[in-house]
Amino acid sequence: MSVLAVRASISEALAAIVGTAAIANDATLENYSIDGIIPAAMVAPGSVEQVAEVVRFANAEKLTLVPAGGFTQQDIGRTPERVDIVLSTTRLNGVEHYDAGDLTLGVAAGTTLAQLDPVLAANGQFLPVEVMLPERATLGGVLATAAHGPLKHGYGGVRDFCIGINFVTAEGRVAKGGGRVVKNVAGYDLMKLMIGSHGTLGVIVSANFKVFPRPGSKSATATFVLEFASLKEATEFLGKLRGSALGPVCCELVSPRAAEYLRTQASAPREVEEVEPGTFSMKSAEAGRAWRILVRATGSETVLDRCGRELGGREVRGVEESELWRHISSFEVAVTARHQNAMVMHVSLPPAAVQNAVVAAEKTGLDNNLFAPTIGRIAIGTLVIAFVPLSVDPPSAMQFANAASAFRATLPRDASAVVVRCPRQAKSHFDVWGSSPTDLAAMRAVKRALDPNNILNRGRFLV
Amino acid sequence: MLQWPQLQPLFMRFSSFVRKLKRIAGRDAVLDRSEDLMMYEYDGGIQTASPQVVVFPQTTQQVSEIAKLSHEAQIPIVPRGAGTGLSGGALARKGGVVLGFARMNRVLEIDAENQRAVVQPGVVNLDLSQAAAPYGLYFAPDPSSQKSCTIGGNVANNSGGPHTLAYGVTVNHVTGIEAVLPDGRIVEFGGKAADACGYDLTGFFVGSEGTLGIATKITVKLMRLPESVATLLAIYNTIEDAANSVVAITAEGVTPAALELLDGWTLRTVEAATHAGYPMDSGAVLLIEVEGMREAVEDQAAAIRQVCLRQHARDVRRAADERERQLLWAGRKNAFGAIGRVSPSYYVQDGVIPRTRVPETLRHIADVAKKYSLTIGNIFHAGDGNLHPLILFDSRDAGETERTLAAGKEILAYCVSVGGSITGEHGVGMEKNEIMPLLFSVDDLEVMRRLHDAFNPGSMLNPEKIFPSTRSCREIAASAALTQAVLEGNGRGARP
Repeated sequence: MSVLAVRASISEALAAIVGTAAIANDATLENYSIDGIIPAAMVAPGSVEQVAEVVRFANAEKLTLVPAGGFTQQDIGRTPERVDIVLSTTRLNGVEHYDAGDLTLGVAAGTTLAQLDPVLAANGQFLPVEVMLPERATLGGVLATAAHGPLKHGYGGVRDFCIGINFVTAEGRVAKGGGRVVKNVAGYDLMKLMIGSHGTLGVIVSANFKVFPRPGSKSATATFVLEFASLKEATEFLGKLRGSALGPVCCELVSPRAAEYLRTQASAPREVEEVEPGTFSMKSAEAGRAWRILVRATGSETVLDRCGRELGGREVRGVEESELWRHISSFEVAVTARHQNAMVMHVSLPPAAVQNAVVAAEKTGLDNNLFAPTIGRIAIGTLVIAFVPLSVDPPSAMQFANAASAFRATLPRDASAVVVRCPRQAKSHFDVWGSSPTDLAAMRAVKRALDPNNILNRGRFLV
Repeated sequence: MLQWPQLQPLFMRFSSFVRKLKRIAGRDAVLDRSEDLMMYEYDGGIQTASPQVVVFPQTTQQVSEIAKLSHEAQIPIVPRGAGTGLSGGALARKGGVVLGFARMNRVLEIDAENQRAVVQPGVVNLDLSQAAAPYGLYFAPDPSSQKSCTIGGNVANNSGGPHTLAYGVTVNHVTGIEAVLPDGRIVEFGGKAADACGYDLTGFFVGSEGTLGIATKITVKLMRLPESVATLLAIYNTIEDAANSVVAITAEGVTPAALELLDGWTLRTVEAATHAGYPMDSGAVLLIEVEGMREAVEDQAAAIRQVCLRQHARDVRRAADERERQLLWAGRKNAFGAIGRVSPSYYVQDGVIPRTRVPETLRHIADVAKKYSLTIGNIFHAGDGNLHPLILFDSRDAGETERTLAAGKEILAYCVSVGGSITGEHGVGMEKNEIMPLLFSVDDLEVMRRLHDAFNPGSMLNPEKIFPSTRSCREIAASAALTQAVLEGNGRGARP
């Protein structure tokens, strides 16, 4: 059968399940391509039952299936050999239950963060997930990719506040783990398994969360911007902060080069070398070379007063504060908007290894003609490192591969360094996932148990 | 019955197995005399099951060799910490080997810079916090049994405790696990970093109740000891007011570190044994703790006092010093012991409900007590809706025991009917496995079963736990339907 005939037959079968309106036509299929691979069909089921039917169909026909939300994280993963069906969760949308008194919430997977936020804000609550592109990013995608932002420092990641999950397995079973209460140990913790599994174990259709009192609602919020002449000084400060009684909700490192991507005013793209120091709404002479730590605290004015006294630095509040954090969350977007060929890495490592890792990123970057602007939740050992080309010559794929492996070689054994974005051609030269401290055979056994035909995101994940 | 000729090969096989165990772990590390085994027949719950042999490995390598040996001989193997569990998780339900971790009890490393500790599974919970204290650090999960329960047991059960309200349960504090799989293979999940590339098998392993593998080394997060702590005792004339205060505190946006409720009967029993300072004439007390930065603690303590007074608290006292604080907590943490003084046996439930449902659920529990002619005390983690109704009974009285079990099941069914769960921190074990269908569908359980089989295919590791014994789908569905019928029947006031 020709490609077109295959496409037509798959789409026809899917249309029988969801109706023709929920199927992409040939002209728009390209919008759903994965690493340039155009899927044979795109389907957006309108109910959990339809998701199950689509998955059952794919499994029976041994077609590969890519679960998708807002398409903000689909760059992650190896390049698949082929993509038969993209299953979009965008029509599974809305708040399913919200018990403000209990601080618990249930949402359909296709609900976007921007859609959810005002619902919670109306009750002085929030979900502590600050990720890029909140108007597109879906809760399902956040769970599948274990996406996180600066608030992870104080609130933990989604694994710490997702209390229940509903998903469709590769064989089309509708299953769940957890429940609707904040404390629950009945049955295996399937939330942990699904979170960060990148759509390889099931299609997440909805989830329940613990929500939290919103900073700035009943309590005040302020951010203290601290500048240091060197990374060493910044790290020493961190040691002091760790020993203090202050319990900030964010503690974010911003490297001097990273500050270029956090400017508050909109700016035209330009080459890194041309950027003058003194942006990032900083006035100090050292600003262009300064390492910064942004500490965000919440509480009463008495609490914030003491934070101000002990931390020093410039205090930022109100719109300026929320913009600052929005820019931090959008760091990757800003980097890739300016350098389409940038490579972005998510690094998790023991907190004490941060300083060496940041130095190593800069060095291995420069060895390969790449700058390495870095931000991250340094106190918990979570970094976002961008590798951007330093010269006007387009970088070769090998440069990225070499930088990635040289950098990874400097990390402790239990660290992870996942490339979440890089030029497509670079992917064939190295493994975007890198090594894992977790036993691979056990991971493969889990994958086989839930997706025996390997239809879900085949070839894209670590196992 | 089998006669000696048939038994002989079995016996020979088993005694050769025991000899091999002794060769692996040492002669003094194996118990197989029936008087020694009796110690291992029970845990903190009400069920019993006897192993044929208990072995105390000292190294991961020994655990691996024992697992391999048991795997080859097809003899069940059950890991056990201090045996303080409340759901039979550490009982050898099908006999076989109990793997006691009493001799793997070393804190291998306190890594203050990374705020991590690496421990062997037999380390006692409180010992870890004491080892970390010189660094200003501690391990947050604090089950009431923390003076004796082990980190390995905490990992198996994803244990909680009063302070998990603010800091989360065990899984929120574990970053790495070394485990021995049922076939003897030694594997690692995660490490000191907060996240690891790939599936979060660390998180998945925690709370799997020793059915996927045997943890032999655990890396945990340590937290900084708070600068300031305020412990409040809010005293009420009625339990309704105390329950309403729980809802109001949550609504206020204050998250105490701990929020415990003791009803009138329980606090009087506890007071008589512990002299913690609970007023004997009160209807209920809330034990509330806030901790952290001094200023934040004062703000929160003031807010909580206001809320409690608004909800008709008769008095809100604050522990003046550490001694008073310890005394208030002694009442809570020694409560189960105090109840042992007044009743031959008690059956602790572990239901969870949405916090806003605390008042009506307590009313329901009172109705259940009346219906079955039982005394039920209430002492629980009110802040996260984790109830611990204590049903008093005499295990020598068969009728009363039966009524106790029925009352327990009815309370749990009610918890589920208001959107809750059958266990918040004690685990399913062999106590609640048959009522799992109350919460989980055939498909849910099938997914869990497949994951179980991916690690533990022959189910020789901790057999007959978590999963209902009714394997066929039809039976599970029937059991769910039956429970539903019971619930509806109860709604109409049917008799037990």
